[in-house]
Amino acid sequence: MEEVLKSRSGDAVKKQKVKNIIIMLLPIAALVVLFAVYVAIILANDYNLAINLETIVNQAIVLVLVATGAIFIFTLGSFDISLGASTLFSATVGILVFNATGSLLLLFLTCIAVAVACSLLNSVLSSVFHLPMFVMTVAMLSVLTSIAGTIITTNSTSAGANPAISVSDSVLRDILGSVDTVWFKVLILALFAVVCIFVFNFTKVGRRQKFLGGNPVCAKMTGIPLSVYGIIAFVMAGIGVGLGAAVNVTYTMSVSTGTASDIGMSVFIAIVFGGMPISGGARSRIYAAIVGGFSYIILNNILNLLLSSVDGRYGYVQIISAVLFLAIVYVASINYRVKHLPR
Amino acid sequence: MKHLGKKLVACACALALTGSMAALAACGGNGENDEVRIGVLVSDVSGEEAVSFRNYYTQYIAEQYNVTFTYTEQLNDSASEIAAIEQFAGQNYDAIISLSANDRASQAEACEEAGMYYAIASGMDDTIYETYKNNEYFVGQIGPSMSTEYEAGLAMGEYYADKIEDSVAIYGAFIPNPMHVYRMAGLLTGLGATYGGATGEAIVGAIFADSGVTASKISLEGKTVSYLAGFGDSTMTEMGTIIATDPDALLSVGMATTFFSAMLNEAGIPYADIDSFTTSNAANMQSGTLEYLAGKYTSSIGPIFAAVYNAVQGNKIENADGSAISISQDYWVATSYEQFEVFQTSDSVTDPIYNKELLDTVIGEDVTYEAFEAFVTTDRTPQA
Amino acid sequence: MDQVINTTARREEILKVRGMTKTFGPVVALNNVDLTLRKGDVLGLIGENGSGKSTITSIVAGMQKATKCDGMYYKGEEWKPSSMLDALDCCGKGRGGIGMVVQESGTIPGITVAENIFLGELGQFRLFQMKNGKSFGPVRRKKLFAAADEALKKAGIEHIPAKAPMAALDFQSRKLVEIAKVILKDPDVLIIDETSTALAQDGREILYKIINSFRGTDKAVIFISHDLDEIMDVCDTLTVLRDGNIIRTFERAEYDPDEIRKAMIGREMHGDYYRSDFEPACGEEVALKAEDVCLGESLKHVSLELHRGEILGIGGLAQCGMHELGKVLFGSLAPKSGRVTAGEDREVRSEAVAIKYGMGYVSKDRDVESLNLSASIKDNIAIAGMDKYAVKNFLILDSREKKYVDRQIDELSIKCSGRDQLVQQLSGGNKQKVVFGKWIGCGSEILILDCPTRGVDIGVKQAMYRLMTKLKGEGKAILLISEELPELMGMSDRILIMKDGEVKKQFMRSRELTDADVIGYMI
Repeated sequence: MEEVLKSRSGDAVKKQKVKNIIIMLLPIAALVVLFAVYVAIILANDYNLAINLETIVNQAIVLVLVATGAIFIFTLGSFDISLGASTLFSATVGILVFNATGSLLLLFLTCIAVAVACSLLNSVLSSVFHLPMFVMTVAMLSVLTSIAGTIITTNSTSAGANPAISVSDSVLRDILGSVDTVWFKVLILALFAVVCIFVFNFTKVGRRQKFLGGNPVCAKMTGIPLSVYGIIAFVMAGIGVGLGAAVNVTYTMSVSTGTASDIGMSVFIAIVFGGMPISGGARSRIYAAIVGGFSYIILNNILNLLLSSVDGRYGYVQIISAVLFLAIVYVASINYRVKHLPR
Repeated sequence: MKHLGKKLVACACALALTGSMAALAACGGNGENDEVRIGVLVSDVSGEEAVSFRNYYTQYIAEQYNVTFTYTEQLNDSASEIAAIEQFAGQNYDAIISLSANDRASQAEACEEAGMYYAIASGMDDTIYETYKNNEYFVGQIGPSMSTEYEAGLAMGEYYADKIEDSVAIYGAFIPNPMHVYRMAGLLTGLGATYGGATGEAIVGAIFADSGVTASKISLEGKTVSYLAGFGDSTMTEMGTIIATDPDALLSVGMATTFFSAMLNEAGIPYADIDSFTTSNAANMQSGTLEYLAGKYTSSIGPIFAAVYNAVQGNKIENADGSAISISQDYWVATSYEQFEVFQTSDSVTDPIYNKELLDTVIGEDVTYEAFEAFVTTDRTPQA
Repeated sequence: MDQVINTTARREEILKVRGMTKTFGPVVALNNVDLTLRKGDVLGLIGENGSGKSTITSIVAGMQKATKCDGMYYKGEEWKPSSMLDALDCCGKGRGGIGMVVQESGTIPGITVAENIFLGELGQFRLFQMKNGKSFGPVRRKKLFAAADEALKKAGIEHIPAKAPMAALDFQSRKLVEIAKVILKDPDVLIIDETSTALAQDGREILYKIINSFRGTDKAVIFISHDLDEIMDVCDTLTVLRDGNIIRTFERAEYDPDEIRKAMIGREMHGDYYRSDFEPACGEEVALKAEDVCLGESLKHVSLELHRGEILGIGGLAQCGMHELGKVLFGSLAPKSGRVTAGEDREVRSEAVAIKYGMGYVSKDRDVESLNLSASIKDNIAIAGMDKYAVKNFLILDSREKKYVDRQIDELSIKCSGRDQLVQQLSGGNKQKVVFGKWIGCGSEILILDCPTRGVDIGVKQAMYRLMTKLKGEGKAILLISEELPELMGMSDRILIMKDGEVKKQFMRSRELTDADVIGYMI
């Protein structure tokens, strides 16, 4: 009997390993399937594939940049609701600096510096006041939105319902246009992703972040304080936000009060689509942001294409995305619960 | 096993979705060959004016011509405008009509890059026009010009100049939005007030210089002026405080009917606004205290469609120097419910002023700029 | 594998299980097991981690369903509880059901003791009670607290106020609240799963009183424990499980520790259980020192010195302050006054500093404070030792990390499918080995072990004791905090007995030292 049990146990281990690999590959497989469906729809309708692919990159890039940095925060099991506000604020300061100097380098540096400063403020204040980081980000959401709103309103050049600051000088628009290319955006993302993957997987900092997310109490008892690693996580997220803000400025050449308003929630959905556990911890992966970000955008585009003749399609797109989001979280949680069954 | 079942159900749902996508993709098509496909950018999807504009295009024009209109979701920023344009371009749309004004320069450039015709249907922007007027894909703009906005404000100010005895409340909407700035300059001039100067030009300059209106700088001899602008958490309370002072009237350069109708009707304060001829405004005028309304009408976006349709058919209308069109449209003004009712019945989705018969007069190969300009500028205000 | 457990043939059956099988995927947790429980009996279930003890009782108590069962009968009727609450409620009959106190904490920290006791039943305390049995309105707190106090009193627990927030209670008190919650429902079968290991002597006395109140009546108890001495003492009959099968049932007259251990682990146990020497021995060098440490009511002017090569035992009742002392020494709790120094006067102010000075801490609350359950064995062992294998003190290379982790897995004989297996899938004993691997691997010279053998079966326990002896031999300093006197006396060079936050007595290692010598200073 014991031999039978041992052999069964060996099979179980193998099956578990296969299952783990499948679970890890599922988001990538989903992205491949979504991409294939998307391309099929484009070709079947004789749409312009090149423009559509460029559209995907343009729509996804800011989301993916912000999400990639934000993985560090989600890994801790925390959540930054002010990501959108922080993107808005850095883009606002960035566009003012760019309008004043015409320097692309200064645009990027300013956006990154401002975003990192906002992130630091979040994490340091939460550390000083012993408040959960999430709570600080709620406060920061209001503060940053208000400040950015005031700056935009008082410097608005827009004729629209939303006040906005635009780059109106044609020379400056040409400068921004020169880097508003798919290749430049992909390069920025690749560089940032490589840095994040390196920090996350090959340094003590990354390992400790993951451990901290899995069990902050145990991490503290292992000499890994949340306050210190929280600050590091927020700084990494800040860099992502800064890059996202700068790329957004090169793409839209303007910043309005509505800029990046939905990015916080989109980042959350995207990383779940990418296979990141919502509780963070050891199973966190940087690629979840990239895979999930593109999956989310492609899915939205597919639904938009399919429902293009349907009234109120945007509502349906949101509902279908929400259902898929719940399905993914549900499947992931079933998997989690199975592992907790008592023996 | 039970969990496996649940997992399978969840995965099946996802698969079903993917499958249906593929099926729909196979059934999908690029529309009929000659069909004109126009994407419409909107920043308001639920307002009465926005809905009536939409119904005019999708329920009347689309029935009369071989054209499809696809509306965007509510566009809140430049990024979403550009993304929408890129999506339309990817689906081989022919043209974009913009009712959204977050960043028109980027809209124009995105359309140019995608090779789609682009037209502005409301809120004319002279800077944009000057920059892109020679762009081959820029059809042009039709709507109230800044001088029309000024005139609309001026007419309202003059109408109330003698009616205000002690005090007046003014709502500045979203100043420094240029459209609202010009209306405000007209309104103050019409009332006989000064703001950094007495002429319209001086007032416009002063408001832009201040990036808004400073209430204490408004001077109206012998009368008290209360001022409010924008819309935030405390706006309703602030308006309540103003209403409590019992002003002779509230004069608004926009949005007052949306935000404050209930309060003003209840308090019995007469008010005036520049908005549109909607059902709710009819009610405000019939049983409330709205007594002056300058507004757009449902089919006022008919001419820009004609211009876009012509362009897509290869008959782009250009003025003498080869530039895109830029033609101003006037507002209609109702000061009584009877007048309002006439406007409503004369221009509806099913029976619009700019009906097919009228639009056909400016659709075709041999339509000249002069004819088109005359068509737009002809006063079609319904008479009782 | 059918084996009927015949307890006392004289009495009437109260619970009967036939042909119960439970599988988790391909893993067989219970293999066609039969079980009979008779009225008035206290039946002990014993076996190594993963033997199926908790599985069979959790099915009986409605926590989960069997994969296959030929029949389950309670008081002669078919027994199919839909949930734990349903089982406790006797499937709708109100009272006289089956109640289970679970191994892990089953209380909610954010609410009061009273709300925990009446969780899901607060309706009876609402202001408005309708004729149809429904209720609404605010909860009448006074009435709720009074009822909860009564429930606690009924269970013999007098020191826990019903008003107290659950989070403010220590581990033992939380466990006692769970017991009170079950007792309140007057179950006719009480299942106590690995609960006593969370309790110190005073807590255990309360539990034993409850068990004795069931003995010889129309009710019955199933008692699960790893503590062989305790289970032999408490139970009338003892059933040994191994790998999902019932191996043997011992009547009280047949109790023989060696035979029972053999049945449990399937082989003879060789060598000594505790240390074989009885001479206190340690190095000269002081490794860890506490000077006049105070922490509210928990610690009052505690001073101690731990030497290299010494095992210093700390004993006492659960609330004597010994667990807090462990945390203060590790820098996890800041003392109100006094100081803790490691080695040559290096003050320990935080866990990070403690680790830097070569300290490691094994917590009593292992699953929360010592392990990241959702992470792999590799992640848990490697996390404390990165300084050892990181290139240039920051770069982590997979190959070096794997080598480091595999060494700990081999040296500690951790039973696992591989380094990537999740810790939550391991048995209690192997989890504890991972914790040891984490601290030993990084070269900790000072180890603070708080109840290191809690919830661990005797096979692993013996391995732990051998490891401690080996570490002592290597010159490591070990502070052993334990609620088990035999363990303290069997392993320590010196024992400090604490009571009410103070060190009351020091005992040196001696062959003559007995429980009786020590207990008087604890109580």
